[in-house]
Amino acid sequence: MILRVENGSFAYRGGPKILDGISFEVGPGEILAILGPNGAGKTTLLRCMMDMLRWNEGRSTLDGEDIHTMPARKLWRRMAYVPQAKSAASSYTAFQTVLLGRSSRIGAFSSPSSEDMKVTEQVMDRLGILGLADKHCHEISGGELQMVLIARAMAAEPEILVLDEPESNLDFRNQLIVLDTMSALASQGMACVFNTHYPAHALQRADKSLILSKGGSCTWGSTPSVVTEENIRRAFGVNAVIGEIETPENIMMNVIPLSVAGSGEKTDSIGDPEGNIIASVTIIMNNNENADRINQILHEYNHLLIGRMGLPHRRSGLYIINTTVEGKRSEVEALAHRLGIVPGISVKTTYARI
Amino acid sequence: MRRDGRLPNIWKIILIVLPFAAALIALGIGRMQISPGEVFDVLRTRLSGGHWADQPVEKTIMQLRLPRIVLAALVGAGLSVSGCAFQSLFANPLATPDTLGVASGASFGAALGILMGFGLIGVQIIALAMGGAAVLLTWLAGSGKDRGGLSYIVLSGIMIGSLFSALVSLIKYVADEESQLPAITYWLMGGLDKASFRTLALGAPVIIAGIAVFCLIRWRMNLLPLSDDEARASGVNVRTLRTVTVISATAITASCVSMCGQVGWVGLLIPHMCRMKFGSNHLSLIPASISLGAVFMIIVDTMARSISAAEIPVSILTAIIGAPFFIMLMRRSGGWRI
Repeated sequence: MILRVENGSFAYRGGPKILDGISFEVGPGEILAILGPNGAGKTTLLRCMMDMLRWNEGRSTLDGEDIHTMPARKLWRRMAYVPQAKSAASSYTAFQTVLLGRSSRIGAFSSPSSEDMKVTEQVMDRLGILGLADKHCHEISGGELQMVLIARAMAAEPEILVLDEPESNLDFRNQLIVLDTMSALASQGMACVFNTHYPAHALQRADKSLILSKGGSCTWGSTPSVVTEENIRRAFGVNAVIGEIETPENIMMNVIPLSVAGSGEKTDSIGDPEGNIIASVTIIMNNNENADRINQILHEYNHLLIGRMGLPHRRSGLYIINTTVEGKRSEVEALAHRLGIVPGISVKTTYARI
Repeated sequence: MRRDGRLPNIWKIILIVLPFAAALIALGIGRMQISPGEVFDVLRTRLSGGHWADQPVEKTIMQLRLPRIVLAALVGAGLSVSGCAFQSLFANPLATPDTLGVASGASFGAALGILMGFGLIGVQIIALAMGGAAVLLTWLAGSGKDRGGLSYIVLSGIMIGSLFSALVSLIKYVADEESQLPAITYWLMGGLDKASFRTLALGAPVIIAGIAVFCLIRWRMNLLPLSDDEARASGVNVRTLRTVTVISATAITASCVSMCGQVGWVGLLIPHMCRMKFGSNHLSLIPASISLGAVFMIIVDTMARSISAAEIPVSILTAIIGAPFFIMLMRRSGGWRI
């Protein structure tokens, strides 16, 4: 399953172009983050992508089929939309709300079958919100409501999940819960597209990123190549540093905004992305759940690997992989990033001084 | 409440039995008191093709009270279910046939029909057309980008409603003082006393058809209060769903108005009572609104014709009961959500 936007442009009637020449694609198991300043048209981009607004030029396709001409019922069994939690206040119970996600599979004159009920329960159980089932949606917290809305989208059993600022308006804990849920779904093969205000969330979670600038142009590519200090300065008008924060298990990327950028300033770029580099990547998995995913990623970057050693540590149930890689800095960083966003594993990359 | 949104069996039984029980009792109440047992016997005899020995009793029940009670039940169920549908459609607890101007539009149509000397069918068709025009105008005027704004729809409904009320006044002004004006005025007050099986035969099918449509699509109606994007993302053709809802609710309202004038409050009170008791899931909300709407109207109409020697127009009674209830509802935050 590949969702692709080809050269999409959009303007509201009589207005200036909001989106101009947007192209990107996302496949199974990938997370795409859409970044951009307020008013750059992030939500408009999502709505155009899902054919809720019509592209003026260009198109969105799902496996090559134009979304605009796809029957709604067919499209929305494969794609699901999670709106911002604030827009969804109703007095339905959480269970009823999630059950509504089954709509495309329930006939106009029918009511939900026991199968629909079962799927709904399973989805809620999987997201850990079965306990909320009989609460009303206006009684639960914003974080819980966001999870309910994700569950509603999941109830449609989609292949691609589109989330509109899923973690905005949430506190730290709930942000983590929502982002972890998204990462977990992606590692099980779901494609996710999400809007966010936080470049750090893109760095920590997304395989690919797209930065929208005011005026409608965009930069799209693998996250490390897109979420750079230079691009953040250009799109947000903010001087920022991207740094690594080392935790006992991982090295996490973070973005710290420093100052509002003046017009002519230019930050130094660190390191030549085309230059050659050698690094050692250490991966520790504490279960086999993500082994396939890791192997798949390593396989993709096979041309970089110059050494690989797998080491099962039976007593503790750990599995340790040590790899040595050589290649362009941008590619090595991309590999380290792809591995780093797989949930439930520890990854560290050490760069050689050459 | 059950998790799947269906009514518990005990409530299913209550909601089916209650309107019939109310009707059976109401059949016996009036200037001529008849016991429920005797009413039952008369009905049974007539159903099996025979005639009841006591002619006046039979005539009172079969020709005076029965059509009126059937009409009351249909009008109550119809107004209640269409109020419920309008509330969900506009995601607005205040949306009812009255507040959206539908009833005023239909009244204008019906008054116009009377002025032009149409028969009941003609009056119904023109009431339906004007009711539809009113809800369309309200929708166009009140639904902008900000669909969440509760007051927009109701404000524009009040505007459209007063526009059509003015048109009704215009009709009254030009109507013939001797014959048409009293007919229009009396009819506008609302009353079920003109009920006969002949008028029922014309109006009832529309109401029954509308109610049947809502019963069929009642689970899908749960999608109505969602925002546009959410509703579209359900994969269901929401435009069709909304169109069917508007047409059915408007047809029911117009049909009720053309048979018994403007009966207010039912479409607001009963759905909210049901929402408080049964929740917002239309799977149980729709049947509950239908049943309790019918019961409410049977009771109110029975009061209207038996409380004093002269008959009280039923819309006066619904307002007397409705206004305090509405204030009570307004003060209880729980009753507000859709």
